[in-house]
Amino acid sequence: MSASPLVIDDRTRGLFQVHRSVFVSEEILAREKELLFDQMWLYVGHDSEIPHPGDFVTRKVGGRTVIFTRDRSGTVRVLLNTCRHRGAEVCRERRGNRKVFTCFYHGWAYGSDGGLISVPDGDSYADGFKRSEHGLHQPHCESYRGFVFITFSADPPDLRAYLADAAYLLDLVADQSGSGMEIVAGTHQYAMKANWKLLMENSCDGYHGFTVHQTYFEMMMNLGVTPGLVAAGNGRGASADLGNGHAVAESPELGMPLMNDDVLAMTVSRRAALAERFGEAHARRMLNTTRNTIIFPNFVVIDLNFGIQVRTMYPTAPDHTEITGWQLMPRDAAEALKAYRLDNALTFWGPAGLATPDDIEALDQCQRGFASVHEVPYSDISRGMRSGAPTAVDELQMRTFWRRWNELLTGERAQPEGPRYDTSYLVAGLAGAEAS
Amino acid sequence: MTGTGPSPAAATLTRAEAEDFLYHEAALLDQWRLEEWLDLFTLDCSYEIPALDLPGGDPASTYSLIHDHRPMLEQRVIRLKKPTAHAEFPHSRTRRLISNVQITSRRENEVQLTANFAVYRVRGSDETCYFGRYEYTLDCTSQIRIRHRKAILDHDILDPHGKISIIL
Repeated sequence: MSASPLVIDDRTRGLFQVHRSVFVSEEILAREKELLFDQMWLYVGHDSEIPHPGDFVTRKVGGRTVIFTRDRSGTVRVLLNTCRHRGAEVCRERRGNRKVFTCFYHGWAYGSDGGLISVPDGDSYADGFKRSEHGLHQPHCESYRGFVFITFSADPPDLRAYLADAAYLLDLVADQSGSGMEIVAGTHQYAMKANWKLLMENSCDGYHGFTVHQTYFEMMMNLGVTPGLVAAGNGRGASADLGNGHAVAESPELGMPLMNDDVLAMTVSRRAALAERFGEAHARRMLNTTRNTIIFPNFVVIDLNFGIQVRTMYPTAPDHTEITGWQLMPRDAAEALKAYRLDNALTFWGPAGLATPDDIEALDQCQRGFASVHEVPYSDISRGMRSGAPTAVDELQMRTFWRRWNELLTGERAQPEGPRYDTSYLVAGLAGAEAS
Repeated sequence: MTGTGPSPAAATLTRAEAEDFLYHEAALLDQWRLEEWLDLFTLDCSYEIPALDLPGGDPASTYSLIHDHRPMLEQRVIRLKKPTAHAEFPHSRTRRLISNVQITSRRENEVQLTANFAVYRVRGSDETCYFGRYEYTLDCTSQIRIRHRKAILDHDILDPHGKISIIL
């Protein structure tokens, strides 16, 4: 590995650079697995995906396959999908409802709470073999406002402390429905030939909007909608360090393409109800700003008013990343409003949409460029560094990610930059108090 | 629905004629003649690709990959012809193979059919293949026009594709 610093954080000059070896090095990836994906809190899913006892989905989290399920008593569980006997996956379906997970290799069977309930020909085991000691492994699991996380750390901080100010950003989406938010059926699963951290950067990068997504904005304008970032007097938003490597880029409303009068009326009445419940400041923050939130290391929640995208990404190699996208919806929205939001969400975020393919193209191109790492060793992330009030089209949000990343990989401590996230919209004693 | 039988045009459309239409459409797409391709659609058309994990999902209530009606289909074509549609600049080369065409129903002026597809895409050093099944509803009122076109992919993850930036 290069002897050059991985991250240059020069506050005097206002220069922030990241060494491109972090995008191509197998050694770095191995250290990320050990120090990030084996230690940090990782998003598994939303509890609305498994509403009934016995409901389950299987997915990969941090390189392991897990069963995300709700047991008979209604408790959300995350079980490692590996038989305690010889290792085979005990559940090979993507989703369903089961009271029992039976390994097909030798027939060991586990309940939805992970307990080992049946071993064929069990009499052949000595007294020292206790079934109670051979349940499916369960990593630490906690949830916040319906967002369920696990960690493989032996001694993790509690999730609420880990989330720091990012919890308020989760409140701003969780509060948008009186009857709760739900993940819509249908998952976007795709991959890119680029390092996973490029997508963490891209997911909160306001600067790339007009260049990469010019055709998306032109589509909006063709359909009679002026994007909020274009409209005069809206400013350029703000970006903020949320603590622990989490960050947000908050911008003016993007605008709502293809809205008809019915959907407009539904949106207006929903806003009035939420303003009544939470106050005008909180409602404005929820419904009249867009917020690209990154939660360290690999979880993204983006609220663009016409939809809420939830996203994770995992590296399988330095230059290959598997991405999953979900859509979060207010459960109490009328069917027509749900259909409207879905169409806009997939038209923007879908891997077949009018925006996301160009992001993937940009990140694939960056990765190709890293072939010149010896001649051009550093990428620049200095934008807005000495401004004092960094905007959503600056790069503070990315620097926040990189400072935490560098702290964990190298032990170098970094001072935070910029003002704390403005929580003046919070209604005392209400938002943030519903942590589960 | 009135339950009336197929019109003469819908009753007599042969599989060979349907295949000729699909091959013509495929050739327009492979040649990037997207405005002519758009002319094959009715004004009340839809173009859909369901989510990979929900191939039977209703796009009005599930998070599908594409759910375009005429206005967004037009915008998709306008976008794809621009050099600022970065994922398709320069354009991919594509080669479409369509087979197993089956007419599944005839009703009033409409014929429904299914077909299998493989769409090969080459761009730079990337070579990928999308494969799956088409479902079409064709309007035979005068010329054949597409009212509904759905591409159901067989992939579990868009890997190595990464995206669907071409028309499938």
